[in-house]
Amino acid sequence: MSTSTQVFPSASEREWKLPSRGRVGMLSLIIGESALFTIFVVAYIFYIGKSLTGPTPAQVLEVPILGTICLLSSSFAIWRSEHAIEHGKMRAFVAWLATTILLGLVFMVGTAIEWHKLIYRDGLTIRTNLFGTTFYSLVGLHATHVLLGLSMLSVVLVLALLDRFSESQSERFAVIALYWHFVDLVWVVVFTVVYLIGR
Amino acid sequence: MSDLPMPIGETPEAAQGGIRSADWLEWLHGWIVTVDHKRLGILYILYSIFFLLVAGAEALFIRIQLAIPNNHFLTAQVYNRFFTMHGTTMVFLVGMPILFGFANYIVPLQIGARDMAFPRLNALSFWLTAFGGLLLYYSFLGGSGLYGVGNAPDVGWFAYAPLTARTFSPGNATDYWALALIVSGFGTLGTAVNIIATIFSMRCRGMTLMRMPLFTWLYLVVSGLTLVTITPLTAAQFMLLIDRYLGGHFFDTQAGGSALVWVHFFWIFGHPEVYVLVLPAFAIANEIIPVFSRKAIFGYPAMVAASVGIMFVSLGVWAHHMFTVGMTSVTNAFFVLSTMLVGIPTGIKIFNWIATIWGGRIRFSVAMLFCLGFLYQFLIAGLTGIMLAVAPLDWQLHNSYFVIAHFHYVLVGGIVFCIFAGLYYWYPKATGRMMSERLGRWHFWLFVIGFHITFDTMHFLGILGMPRSIYTYQPDRGWNTLNMIISVGGFIQAIAILIFAWNFIVSYFRGDEAGDDPWDAWTLEWTTSSPPPVYNFAVEPEVRSRRPLWDLKHPHDPDWEYEG
Amino acid sequence: MSSEQHHPHTSDGSHVALPASTAWPIVLAFGVTLCFASLVMNAGVGIAGLILMLCALVGWVREIFPHERHEEVPVIARPTVVATVRTQVSRIQISEVQRSYLPIESYPISSGIKGGIAGGIAMILPALLFGLLTQHSIWYAVNLLGGAGAAFWTNPSTEYIAAFHWSGLLIAIVIHSAVCLLVGLLYGAVLPMWPRHPILLGGILAPVLWTGMLHSAMWFINPAFADRIAWGWFAVSQLFFGIVAGMVVVRTGRIQTRQPLPFALRMGIEAKELMRPDAEDRN
Repeated sequence: MSTSTQVFPSASEREWKLPSRGRVGMLSLIIGESALFTIFVVAYIFYIGKSLTGPTPAQVLEVPILGTICLLSSSFAIWRSEHAIEHGKMRAFVAWLATTILLGLVFMVGTAIEWHKLIYRDGLTIRTNLFGTTFYSLVGLHATHVLLGLSMLSVVLVLALLDRFSESQSERFAVIALYWHFVDLVWVVVFTVVYLIGR
Repeated sequence: MSDLPMPIGETPEAAQGGIRSADWLEWLHGWIVTVDHKRLGILYILYSIFFLLVAGAEALFIRIQLAIPNNHFLTAQVYNRFFTMHGTTMVFLVGMPILFGFANYIVPLQIGARDMAFPRLNALSFWLTAFGGLLLYYSFLGGSGLYGVGNAPDVGWFAYAPLTARTFSPGNATDYWALALIVSGFGTLGTAVNIIATIFSMRCRGMTLMRMPLFTWLYLVVSGLTLVTITPLTAAQFMLLIDRYLGGHFFDTQAGGSALVWVHFFWIFGHPEVYVLVLPAFAIANEIIPVFSRKAIFGYPAMVAASVGIMFVSLGVWAHHMFTVGMTSVTNAFFVLSTMLVGIPTGIKIFNWIATIWGGRIRFSVAMLFCLGFLYQFLIAGLTGIMLAVAPLDWQLHNSYFVIAHFHYVLVGGIVFCIFAGLYYWYPKATGRMMSERLGRWHFWLFVIGFHITFDTMHFLGILGMPRSIYTYQPDRGWNTLNMIISVGGFIQAIAILIFAWNFIVSYFRGDEAGDDPWDAWTLEWTTSSPPPVYNFAVEPEVRSRRPLWDLKHPHDPDWEYEG
Repeated sequence: MSSEQHHPHTSDGSHVALPASTAWPIVLAFGVTLCFASLVMNAGVGIAGLILMLCALVGWVREIFPHERHEEVPVIARPTVVATVRTQVSRIQISEVQRSYLPIESYPISSGIKGGIAGGIAMILPALLFGLLTQHSIWYAVNLLGGAGAAFWTNPSTEYIAAFHWSGLLIAIVIHSAVCLLVGLLYGAVLPMWPRHPILLGGILAPVLWTGMLHSAMWFINPAFADRIAWGWFAVSQLFFGIVAGMVVVRTGRIQTRQPLPFALRMGIEAKELMRPDAEDRN
């Protein structure tokens, strides 16, 4: 009765590689979130043109070109910062990360201005008509996700500025970046549905 | 190879006898702050058994009310609350938590891992589920509805619009329903993410996907399905809250909204939900039937393929709950055909289980008895399901007791039977004690008899035209005798459940010592001690086949020679 | 993250690192619940929930950053033997005779399709003859078929059906060729089950079954047209189709089925476990 450790016969000496749990978890979350957005998008498409009263999208919506460009280019910025942290270039990492956050903030400010205009100038609130209900809930849901992403990135930025975030955390940062890419991708869908199809 | 010793340890805490020596508060604190998958699994299961008793009691009240015509045991309002809470509790606070509890406990052990992929998220998920359930039941005290304080949700578990609109559901009982399920839905989503990450990223050496036990495989499928199932419900409930609190118009027919959209969204969640509940039941049967037939599972790849097939098909069948809302004939035909398609993978599974039993050396332990009951009852449930999938027949039987009978055959005859089988099977692993087989047989036979008295009879009552959700009926409808029989059957089941609860508690203190491997089984959880140490395996295991313990027990005839 | 995911195992094997217990998950869960509950309770509950959530999130981040907190759990060695009392393994015996039901030779499936096409062409003859004899119009049978598929012909008169219609002809051609191809394919697929008498199967049994099925189903599909179909003529055309199809099949040569070959070869794979006859039947 020796306490041998080799109980199970070794199948092979091949290296046993498993996918990173962070990425798998984030991808699963993204699948779930996609279903969430799908329901809101389907509701939006279903209710296009069904409002009984105005204002209609064609009357009040303006295509948010600047915000969209900023949000989409932030995906590029975060990709560069991922690249930078993998190679230990912390200064480049901080710079690209700050750019990402800045671009995200511009998008959020754009949304805020748009909503302010819609509410106070055009009199469109969530209870005005079906367009208001579906528009604010879909765009608002996306904006909530952007805010969530921005707060995560800001925490990372603060940690990085305090020199607490290093190359060893690159895998974790990649997971956050994955989420950010997803948020951008959702915006492509929301943008298409709300500003191109629905207008 | 089989007689090589295996170093497996216990924590000093457990060696001293756990709770008896430790300070009571410290013990409680240990359970509250735990991130150990086994403890969380046990918490999930205890939590669901508690709510099983609660929702079972609600069912008994419903049956007392319906036992005789023109009964005034419950008022109509209380009756509505009880059937709403019975349904909601059984699905969200019993079915899903207990099945995720099994996953929590068993999956890491079966794949040779030391914990889940995200242990803290695991704890968060459990507590979200738990607080969600408590919030739902707090509505009995805190919900203020049309009739003042103490008003539980009473809009049915599917909460159809426009009944849920502010006008028709004043007060906040309906909000409790939505909020509690959103909170527990977050927990469910977290668990699903966690299980997927665990299964993909935590497998021990050699455990390729096609060597995973079928139990684990099915939980992978279930979790994937849960991801895209629970989120649509959350979305629809957010819309409901937007309607109720912010004055939105999603389901407001006065402002161009559509009540039908809610029905679609609910069943886009609601139908796959049935598979979220039933696939874990299949998972349990997949483990128990081979072990007690002493044969390897028949058609492992076919079982995997069928499960994945069920997952995809189940996403495209939701509107078979809605044949009576007036869809186009093309839509009806599509959903009739897609629903019947489910019969194919399910049939494959039933044939494979029968082929596994065929020619085996069957041991009729209580766990196996429950699985055999499941096989038979699930077959009947599937057949009545095919009947209801035929749109014209569904127009006749929709919302009658035939439908109630059908889905209770699935949920009780299929899922609850498998849950009991799983509890009898893994109880020795979790506690180190065997549950009493003698009491278990009483439990099984009483439950089978009560089940058939209740739910077989319900089919006839449905064909005779009794609609669901009515709180009483006139004596001249010809439903009196059948209703009485159903209620009697309900009480027989209740006695069986009480025997189970007694067995469950008493066996913990007085049951026989289980040993590591009481059933002579083949998956990794049976290599470690019962109960397993916190770290599960002192040495991370390594496997070469689907039945690693078979390889160890039969060194001259190992599985890996055949599995390639 | 991946570097930490397999909880490090200390070198001597006496300790295992496990994730440390933490209260933050329950605090966060409670905070989230309070936030949602504030909608039906009051704002104070929501503020309390938010505070709890923020505390829990900060606590949680400290728990996992920069590295996840672990606690070392001592391993207590406990020798165990994995063994069974059931050491005998018996195998199911399957006699090879059971395989002899399957034919050694059969017709290829493509012959069924050829038969279907030939039969479909041949079948036009008795069908047109039926129209010519009963209604003095070759278009009658064509329109019956085409009209059965076009539900927009409501209650047409006999003269209307006997006249020529482009839509009727086109729909009839589509239906006829599609059904003939499919029936031929089915015929070819069924042939290995009864390879000895293809004419009997295709010429008599299948037409009788097909006619019977349509006879019972036509009343649901299109009752107005079911009235007009002369079932005797219908059966004759079917028989004509079947016999011609069967003859075409017989003229095609037989091929060897792969039944006598081992399973692995039939599947076109080489796998060790499939080569061994007892591999699938162990118990």
